[in-house]
Amino acid sequence: MKQAKTWASAGLFFLVTTVLCGAVYTVVVTGIAQAIFPYQANASIIEVDGTKYGSELVAQQFTDDDHMWGRLMSPSTGTFTNDEGEDVLWYGPSNLSPASDDFAQSVQARVDEIRAAHPEKGDEPIPSDLVTNSGSGFDPHISPAAAEYQVERLAKNTGKTPSEIRAIIEQCTEQPQFGILGDARVNVLKVNLMLDGIL
Amino acid sequence: MMDELLEYGIYLALLVALAVPLSAYMNRVMAGEKVAVLSRVLVPVENAVYRVIRVDKNESMGWKKYLVSAFAFSALCLVGLFALLMLQGVLPLNPEGLPGLSWDLAFNTAVSFVTNTNWQAYSGEASLSYFSQAIGLTVQNFVTPAVGLAVLFALFRGLVSTGDRGLGNFFVDVTRAVLFVLLPLSLVVAIVDVQQGSPQNFNEYETVQLLEPVGVDADGNIVEADDPAAVKTIDQATVPMGPQASQVAIKQLGTNGGGFNGVNSASALENPTPLTNLVQCLSLLLIPVACVFSFGRFVADRRQGRAVFAAMFILLLVALVAIAAFEQTGTPQLAADGQVCMGTLDQSGGNMEGKETRFGVTDSSLWAAFTTAASNGSVNAMHDSFTPLGGMVPMVLMALGEVVFGGVGSGLYGMLGFVILTVFIAGLMVGRTPEYLGKKIGPKEMRMAVILCITTPLLILVSATVLALDPATAASLNNSGAHGFSEVLYATVSAGGNNGSAFAGFNANTQMINVVLGLEMLANRFIPIAAALVLAGSMCTRQKVAVGAGTLSTSNALFVFLLILMVLLVGALTMFPALALGPVAEHLMMML
Repeated sequence: MKQAKTWASAGLFFLVTTVLCGAVYTVVVTGIAQAIFPYQANASIIEVDGTKYGSELVAQQFTDDDHMWGRLMSPSTGTFTNDEGEDVLWYGPSNLSPASDDFAQSVQARVDEIRAAHPEKGDEPIPSDLVTNSGSGFDPHISPAAAEYQVERLAKNTGKTPSEIRAIIEQCTEQPQFGILGDARVNVLKVNLMLDGIL
Repeated sequence: MMDELLEYGIYLALLVALAVPLSAYMNRVMAGEKVAVLSRVLVPVENAVYRVIRVDKNESMGWKKYLVSAFAFSALCLVGLFALLMLQGVLPLNPEGLPGLSWDLAFNTAVSFVTNTNWQAYSGEASLSYFSQAIGLTVQNFVTPAVGLAVLFALFRGLVSTGDRGLGNFFVDVTRAVLFVLLPLSLVVAIVDVQQGSPQNFNEYETVQLLEPVGVDADGNIVEADDPAAVKTIDQATVPMGPQASQVAIKQLGTNGGGFNGVNSASALENPTPLTNLVQCLSLLLIPVACVFSFGRFVADRRQGRAVFAAMFILLLVALVAIAAFEQTGTPQLAADGQVCMGTLDQSGGNMEGKETRFGVTDSSLWAAFTTAASNGSVNAMHDSFTPLGGMVPMVLMALGEVVFGGVGSGLYGMLGFVILTVFIAGLMVGRTPEYLGKKIGPKEMRMAVILCITTPLLILVSATVLALDPATAASLNNSGAHGFSEVLYATVSAGGNNGSAFAGFNANTQMINVVLGLEMLANRFIPIAAALVLAGSMCTRQKVAVGAGTLSTSNALFVFLLILMVLLVGALTMFPALALGPVAEHLMMML
């Protein structure tokens, strides 16, 4: 009998916490977020003249000669579809061991591809973030070293001067926060939107 | 190099600087005292809760009633969450029209969140509706750390009690922990995350235009758009939306770790900047560290808390240095005979596979050490892609039984098991009856301490054996050879430590693995809770004895050293043969 009362309290407690921590908390945070930071709270979507070109926080894969390349990506279909039911792209990490043969082959293939597109760089070592897959699979950034590596190719293929390219990169670079937290990084999608004259 | 060292220093210094005042605050909250500002708003809510659930807040429970209450509440949470996940398809707030989960995945996920593990055999953005995430999982993210904190304070009360058999009121302890500690902190962290870029909405997923469309060949592989093998073109991609920031805040603060998205805090949507990385990383260890200082304050001898803190902090530092060194060095496979630049000029350098550019090796190593020291299990880089030994260190931290700060509450009651074991063994060496905090340790207390110490290693070895013997497990592996075994081992270590992080290439969503890991998580959560409460119940009946010249000090450097030794002896030695087959073997082969 005593235990029945405990179980009843426990059951009611589950319901009460569900209302408080599930509904009330989530609604309060959403309300504050939408009121004060609507751009961020709606996923930082870059929209120009009614077209949504992506989120600042989600990478796209670039392989064209007149675009800056980002981290190695493995896009896939089958996870999401659009409103018409057609496949749309989504991304994931490789989860390969960096000590495995599969990984060594993946690095070599990427090195060969990059070398072929950047003959002017010769045997200069390639920045490590440019030949590796990221943690999320859609890392929107590359390091300043990886951006600088591509400047001459971009100048050759876009008709812009290297200093114009560097100025665009500069605009899309975020420094470590407060000068110390994290690493400097270049937002690849923004660079390419500027190269295309959209942004 | 100096920048990196400074950043490591900032993380560690802020952690301790914030935990000390929080520990004083938590003791006031758990003692039922008034706190400035918040009490005025929250006490009416608190009293309303007691009225609704029909609990007398002044009733103090003995260990049996406390235990029954904790088990009853957890059992009902388990049933409720299981049902909610199975019924997802017919519940509201499901703009993507996601179906209910299979029974084994729903079981595994419900157990995982009710045990404060947050092991995820699914990818959140592709499998769960906003209802399941916010009303199902987020609620457990709040109440499970509160249950851990409640059990810990019940144990504190047992340790200092002189004859009073009451350990406090379970429902009051959980309510106050949620209202006064977890909710306010989560609100702050969530708003910082949103300000930095984390989404917080109930919209449909966004579909965006690709600058470079891609082709798909007949086998479904992605190829260039102008490739002759392409049978169709795809020009759109998805941006997952949802109430992400609110869930991320509490998943960090409550040592839960279950991400809104499959890739957890590696996703720029969950963890957009180095500042959110700092805030989230500190959040995940803040309360476990504060618990240790709370302990010292509670027993009115802050040196006791500092000694336990020192032992844990030393283990954390050693682990952090090891991970950072292995990851910054990288592997010969990545360096590719000098074709790839591993240096640190204008880039993080080192092993960037599975790491985000904005975090680099420094922030990723910090996170990996913090998240496996705490039983959090969120990640900001893929542990599967760490170097062999860089990935082994997190495994060791978890296998020690999650006592290097560990889970909210659970980490410290686990560590107090080791403290009692150390007192006992040291007592044997000098031939004295073991005492702790002025009370004699008897056979019953020893039995409970041993259960606290060996539950995790035992469960890990049994589960790893079962999965390794099942031929079907091979189909779940993403890597072959020694690293493949590491993937299985990591999964069982993570479930056994109630951690929840993963070598994520491992496909854990099979009936066999869902059930084995589910049972392992259940046992590892509730056996120690029972042991801690039995221990509390028996300690509160023991009379204080006078401190004499022969009493072993439990707050000096010698004791800290003995405690570390004992933790390593039990945790590391039981795991050594298994580690030799996985990460150690892989490292040696890499060097060939």
